[in-house]
Amino acid sequence: MAEFIAYLIAGLATGAIYALAAIGFTLVWQTSQTINFAQGEFVMLPAILILAMVGFLGAPFWLATVLGIALFVLLFGWGFKIVIVDPMIRHGVLPLAIATMALAIIMKEGAKDGFSAEAQNFPSFLPVQTISLGGVSISLQHIAIILVACAAIGGLQWFVTRTKTGRQMQAAAQNPNVALVLGIPVARMVMLTFLINAGLAALASVLISPIYLAKFSNGEVIGLFAFIAAIVGGFNQVRGALAGGLIVGVIDSLAAAYISTSYRLAVPLVLLVIIILVKPEGLFGRKEERRV
Amino acid sequence: MDNPILELDEVVGGYGRITILHGTSFRVRRGAIITIIGPNGAGKSTVFKAIFGLLNLSSGTIRFNGTDITGWSPRRLLEAGIVYVPQGRNIFPELSVRHNLEFGAVAAGPDITDMPARIEAALDRFPSLRQKADQQASTLSGGQQKQLEIMRGLLLDPKLILIDEPSIGLSPLLVQETFGILTDLRNRGVTILMVEQNARSALEMSDEGLVLELGRTRMQGPAREILHDPRVAQLFLGGAMAEVE
Repeated sequence: MAEFIAYLIAGLATGAIYALAAIGFTLVWQTSQTINFAQGEFVMLPAILILAMVGFLGAPFWLATVLGIALFVLLFGWGFKIVIVDPMIRHGVLPLAIATMALAIIMKEGAKDGFSAEAQNFPSFLPVQTISLGGVSISLQHIAIILVACAAIGGLQWFVTRTKTGRQMQAAAQNPNVALVLGIPVARMVMLTFLINAGLAALASVLISPIYLAKFSNGEVIGLFAFIAAIVGGFNQVRGALAGGLIVGVIDSLAAAYISTSYRLAVPLVLLVIIILVKPEGLFGRKEERRV
Repeated sequence: MDNPILELDEVVGGYGRITILHGTSFRVRRGAIITIIGPNGAGKSTVFKAIFGLLNLSSGTIRFNGTDITGWSPRRLLEAGIVYVPQGRNIFPELSVRHNLEFGAVAAGPDITDMPARIEAALDRFPSLRQKADQQASTLSGGQQKQLEIMRGLLLDPKLILIDEPSIGLSPLLVQETFGILTDLRNRGVTILMVEQNARSALEMSDEGLVLELGRTRMQGPAREILHDPRVAQLFLGGAMAEVE
């Protein structure tokens, strides 16, 4: 039982990271029909940028973190939309999706060639001790990751539902034509979702890299699981992406512990297939009809 | 016509390479209800998009209160006093009725300080909306949704309302109710330019009619004359109207 609880908490921690990435995924989909297959690399790169700033500029870690996140949000929030999404979306969803696949490869290989092919230690802002509670060893780092991620998601949910700007963002996502007619700055709202997506990815990167280490290939699994989490939870709901992330994280952790470490990656994929067959709109998603 | 509120002068525009408006010109009298009628593809809805800055025009001029507004953004037009209620359902179903209503105030300038009171007054005017103010807008009936859209458009005290097919999908009773709201607005000095398939009912409550065909103004005059013009009945209003004639 003690072992199970430890695996459960570890799964919730990685699940919280998947949820951050999955929420960003759903946000940019809702506002701009962008399926970002580079989402995993978006979580991989901020940690590399931060370490590069420490290594090449000699900046203190906290300053490198602030600058690295700011640079990442500028390049992969604003820049991603201007340089890749805006020109490609005119040609349809599929060309844009393929462009993001190309971006993923460029980001991964760029991190390998430009920084390092080896996994690098990444310092943690969170406590790393382990405590024993009723015979169960609990990693404070895992608990802190869950709390920080949930606070970020809660803050985002508050912003989207309780502020005028957040509701304008929802309006721009739900019906951009009507939003435009009402004077809502639709283009600015869409850009805001890209900036939020980059911010969430950067947060996920800073949280997960002390555990996974900073490595160019980290995005492969994170991207895949974030995608699965978004579909399992419901591609059009923030709470769905949160639930999907936590479910995928826990299933992955328990599968590694109790089924097989070799086949752990397959278990969330099986879940994905089941959801697509049984409830294609996802556990919390709403049915959508689109004219093509 | 002296001092018209809106003037279109030789407006040419369309979608991509397809031209819909082939030099559309007309003037809209201040404080009147004007209904635009015409067969499918005449460019009725496209005219509204052209006025509201949602269409790239290749030539022509649009003036509002004597000011050239050609190519202005929707937000700037809202600030100037024009509101556009497009065809179909224009609410955000997952947001509350109150939050939907608040979107009517997005373009409010800093000089409008009584917006909360205006929102409350709008809800007071329609008790059925007040009752559901904090529920999702998807719970409203079709008629209530149209009322919400009109109320939302009135928050900025517009001088001109462009309303496209307000009766679509509504029962005859709700159509009369909606037309009643528009008449009431006209009586308070608001100018209403309307596109309506339900041509007979719309012309009966309008001051003027405007016939559009192939992106050009074919006829404009008092609504009663348009309604009873045999050419109009023949050309645009279908067999039933022709038989009446």
